[in-house]
Amino acid sequence: MRALDGLAFDGQMELHPALNIFRAAILVALAHAKRVIQQTLAHPELLPSSFSFCTNFSDEPETCRVFLGVRERRERAQELAGRFPERAALITLEITSPEAWKTALAEIEAQAGPLGVLINNAGFHEDALLANMAQDQWSRVLDANLNAVFHGCQAVLPGMMRERKGRIVNISSLSAISSPAGQTNYSAAKAGVIGLTQSLAKESARMGITVNAVLPGYIEGGLPTDWTPEHLKALKMQLPMRRFAKPAEIAAAVFFLASPDASYITGSSLKIDGGIL
Amino acid sequence: MPTRQRLKELMISELMLDMAADEIGDDTPLFGPAGIGLDSVDALQLVVMIEKHFGFKMADQDQAKRILQSVNTIAEAVDQKAAA
Repeated sequence: MRALDGLAFDGQMELHPALNIFRAAILVALAHAKRVIQQTLAHPELLPSSFSFCTNFSDEPETCRVFLGVRERRERAQELAGRFPERAALITLEITSPEAWKTALAEIEAQAGPLGVLINNAGFHEDALLANMAQDQWSRVLDANLNAVFHGCQAVLPGMMRERKGRIVNISSLSAISSPAGQTNYSAAKAGVIGLTQSLAKESARMGITVNAVLPGYIEGGLPTDWTPEHLKALKMQLPMRRFAKPAEIAAAVFFLASPDASYITGSSLKIDGGIL
Repeated sequence: MPTRQRLKELMISELMLDMAADEIGDDTPLFGPAGIGLDSVDALQLVVMIEKHFGFKMADQDQAKRILQSVNTIAEAVDQKAAA
């Protein structure tokens, strides 16, 4: 069993049959990504063991394909995609560029047909107290965490509207609602993602498209590398579960929201924080 | 199937309208309280629907506003394009 962001594969590298309703592609925006995919790569011991996505598609000639939108850190994404050569591929994507989205979408549709699911997973933070925050720090974080979600949603909507089905899962953050000091830029961007999600959900509900947000808390492998073991230990003591989330625990929620099982859930913001808030 | 009837049936299915095709008059305004009461989301869907099913692409918002008045105005535009 292996997890690929919100998508899980079994030993035969098959996708959950629920996702087979979407004939083609799942695009995972990965530029700047510090979340699930990289964490999964960094912590193979954390791959899910309790999910059962085993199936086969012997009666289903059409199967999902997964595209990882990547600008940088290609080698890690390539390593992951390489595990599933029939199902996963990298695609060049600068998420802050509307033109890059158009190009990527055109390539995906040419290779695999209409896009079924978009997971806006990209994001990064660049913390500073507002009093000391440079304009660039504000703009970069807003561009990557909020404007990119706008560009991605706008790029995939026409195709989803034509097909009258689609799933968009936006990865927000617990910071959107906990708003820690030093993250005015990141908190604002991630709160913006929630607003965008709710508004777009209303706009697209009648079209068979759902739009939801996931708000992860602390995730193993996704914490700043300069945090000391003592710092991490002290932090865990403050958490109700006294542990960080496993990447697979975030991926499971993303996968569910991307599946037809979540067909009446739209505009929701699901926090996955082990009870912090 | 005549264009007007097809339009009405598509509108009912794609806009998820809880009404029968014969309840939509050919000249009934599509938007506003005096008509069917469609909203801006419906307008967007109509544009996509007309392009998808009739191959008619709206050039701009002004054209869309002119055409998306009633079933008659849409049918006239679609039939004109088909005849061209």
